[in-house]
Amino acid sequence: MISVSREARHRLSINRVGLWLFFLSDSFFFGALLVTRYYLQGVHRPSDLNQTLGFAISAILLLSSLTAYSAETAIARGEERLFRRNIVFTSVLGVLFMAGVGLEWSEGFRHFPPSQGFGTVFFALTGFHAFHVFTGLIALALLLFPGQKGRFTPDNYWGVEGIVKYWHFVDVVWLFIFPTLYLVS
Amino acid sequence: MKTGSGLRRKLALGYAVFGGLIALKIVEYFVGTRIHSGGWAYLAILAIVSSWLVLYFFMHIYQLRSGRKDHD
Repeated sequence: MISVSREARHRLSINRVGLWLFFLSDSFFFGALLVTRYYLQGVHRPSDLNQTLGFAISAILLLSSLTAYSAETAIARGEERLFRRNIVFTSVLGVLFMAGVGLEWSEGFRHFPPSQGFGTVFFALTGFHAFHVFTGLIALALLLFPGQKGRFTPDNYWGVEGIVKYWHFVDVVWLFIFPTLYLVS
Repeated sequence: MKTGSGLRRKLALGYAVFGGLIALKIVEYFVGTRIHSGGWAYLAILAIVSSWLVLYFFMHIYQLRSGRKDHD
């Protein structure tokens, strides 16, 4: 019994290291895109950029991190209903964030199209980030199905932990994208 | 830690961290829209502090060193 527990703990540690290595490699990718913004445009920022909308979708994404955290905390204590409810909240907030980005894109195409320097950086950064949010939404949706069948328990919820951590990572990336695109001038 | 009070305590911590993140975001927005010279340095500091809050309290980065089973 002790060896099984040790084996499970060892496996969990390996899983966590693997996930953090993925975050590190993805950070290099986003880091390169962020550097490109300063390399191509310096600190120039178009006056037409909707900073209020950027702030609003940032707040939505931060709130989704809170609900994702609550979902993980709930499943770690066997509160499955609270877990499912918070996963649904997180997904809804993620969709709202995507809608906000879509709105920003529609404005962006008019004021700074991708053919312009800032537009190139703006659409590349927000586009790749939105793709990450989209994949996160798919992962969250997958969580709900096995979660309903009581698959995750306080002793075994790595699937939840991994996906929630990924969601937080996407939030962390946005914490750097928002000031880089919307605020620096 | 699997009691109702433990759950409430952890959720309260999450709300507190979220409150801190929103406060930092408001300051960041104020700096970005009002300070036009040298504001980037403040923005960089605010982004690093915000991301550290998420990395530590929400992503439990300390687990990598401690190897703890759950996220307490």
